[in-house]
Amino acid sequence: MLDTLSLMGAGFINALTPINLLMMIGGVAMGIVIGCMPGLSAAMGVALMLPMTFTMEPETGLIVLGAIYCGAIFGGSISAILIHTPGTPASAATAIEGYQMTLKGQAGKALFTACWSSFWGGLLSCISLYFFAPLLAQLALKFMSAEYFWLSIFGLTIIAGVSSKSLIKGLMSGAFGLMLSTIGLDPITGVKRFMFGQSFLAEGVNTTCALIGLFSMSQVFILAEKKIVKRAKASKVTDKMRLSKKEIRTLWPTIIRSWIIGNLTGILPGAGASIACFVGYNTAKQFSRNKQDFGHGAYEGVAGSEAANNAVTGGSLIPTLTLGIPGESVTAVLMGGLIIQGLTPGPELFTKYAPMTYTFFAGFVLVQFFMLAVGLIGCKGFANIARLSDAILIPCVTVLCVVGSYAIHKNILDVVVMLIFGVIGYAMRKFDLNTAAVVLALILGPIGEKGLRNALRVSQGSISVLFSSVVDWVLIALCIVGVLSPFFMNKMEKKSQALADENDAEAGTGDAPVSD
Amino acid sequence: MKMKKTDIGVVVFMYAVCAYWYYGTTQLKESSRTYPYFTVALLFGLTTLYLLQMLVAAKKHGVTSGVSEVFKDFQPVQFFVCLVCVIVYVVLVSTVGFFVSTVVFMVAVMLYLKVPVLHMSIAVVVLTVLIYFAFVRFLGVKLPTGILI
Repeated sequence: MLDTLSLMGAGFINALTPINLLMMIGGVAMGIVIGCMPGLSAAMGVALMLPMTFTMEPETGLIVLGAIYCGAIFGGSISAILIHTPGTPASAATAIEGYQMTLKGQAGKALFTACWSSFWGGLLSCISLYFFAPLLAQLALKFMSAEYFWLSIFGLTIIAGVSSKSLIKGLMSGAFGLMLSTIGLDPITGVKRFMFGQSFLAEGVNTTCALIGLFSMSQVFILAEKKIVKRAKASKVTDKMRLSKKEIRTLWPTIIRSWIIGNLTGILPGAGASIACFVGYNTAKQFSRNKQDFGHGAYEGVAGSEAANNAVTGGSLIPTLTLGIPGESVTAVLMGGLIIQGLTPGPELFTKYAPMTYTFFAGFVLVQFFMLAVGLIGCKGFANIARLSDAILIPCVTVLCVVGSYAIHKNILDVVVMLIFGVIGYAMRKFDLNTAAVVLALILGPIGEKGLRNALRVSQGSISVLFSSVVDWVLIALCIVGVLSPFFMNKMEKKSQALADENDAEAGTGDAPVSD
Repeated sequence: MKMKKTDIGVVVFMYAVCAYWYYGTTQLKESSRTYPYFTVALLFGLTTLYLLQMLVAAKKHGVTSGVSEVFKDFQPVQFFVCLVCVIVYVVLVSTVGFFVSTVVFMVAVMLYLKVPVLHMSIAVVVLTVLIYFAFVRFLGVKLPTGILI
């Protein structure tokens, strides 16, 4: 206990270095900009910025990525409130009440509520990160080779199932990624596999290039295929950006409820911020004393949605850091950031690399304060950035993809790999396949392969070793739950969205919010 | 839900990948075949399952083209011009040099997409300066120079 407390304290001291603080501000600002632009997503932003973190200290690199993540989730609310277009799907529910408030001349109040609730949602989510992550990591200590195999399968079933329109297509994407993960030298025998005569593929497909291609470059192609349209002008903020003391007091129960909802949603692998925002919004409505205001600009609705989606951030880091199972695409990319630094998610992060991990946690706490400050000061300016035309975004994002993938090994072939994955990612998105599952398979594939082959080697080829312990059976059960979970998640999301749409229709704002 | 004809392409592509990977695996040493075989079997099984699902959907609900859904609002000329520009840009980066090709690429794409000159100039200057300071000065990355810079 004392050890943990001292690690926590040391983490804060390390996180407070000038370079880390500078990176927090920069990361949050960049994240908000990315989040408020409807063409860009949080995962894409984090993927694009990954190469920038190579030369940084691991904790600083992770803090930057965490800051972009938090900033992007909050940033989506700015365009949701001011132009009725959520910057990210995580703010879809915010648009319902937020835009109504804007129409009533309360844009400042809506923005303050979003900022305030996002801050508390994110900050409170750090509590569970501090307390649950080490506990789960201890459990991971019991894992042997066979368990690692099942763990990789579990991670794939979860992400493939939940974030795809079709469960089988999601699983196919995961299997396709596993296949691609066999490119390179055999980890046990050193035999060349599927290298197409290219020696630079000896270590396999570079995960960062694949990430940038699948998330960022594919988005460029998606933008390039659509007619370039002018975005709606952001509404002017005419009122003051504040809430009265009484209003802040009434928000507390909503924030607390949404924190719990968002946190649990984040911890559950597969459920992300886009589900949490609707559940948070509907719960806020159910418990509100002013139900009649919902659909007509209820600030509690904005708080419910925003506190929930930001509470997901801390929660979703728990399975990512401890078990190596990212629940959604952003955390899958963040995990890529860990691996780039030569770190493997799991117990080691809380033993050998504990100082680094606790510095990252402390940085994650401080990021919430910067998000509040940068958000409150820069809201109006960020709203104008949200109008940036896709015609400018297309070449800018392309250049960043090229320079980012080149910077990894200073090899132009990495850029070619990124471009190939960009085209693959584009085609996959067009045909409803799942790019996040491919990324996760590229990360988990080698872990699963080593686990499977080591287990079979020890058992002299008998597959009974894969079913020999209680942990194996628990993981197999979780895989089954992972396959079945989309049915429940879809039901929950549809129910929440239907309720939210009812409010939007009652409000009569016309078009439903557009998510990207 | 109706079966989409466009999904036939997905199934064919996945089977083709399976066939290629299966052939590649047979060329490996026996000790290295286990895991690639496992991935081939997994993808083959799932693709077959999807094919069966498609056939059931076709029998129950009928067949739809799916093209209008997949390529809704698709601007073919704009898309392929951008794609070609990106490919040419990647080639130019290593032959001409990063900064020159970046400026040429950005100006070409934005001119084609009818971005006002002022906005275009600001975007080009801001991004190249940002990349110079972030990657060259701060991260110490030596960007490709080619015959120019």
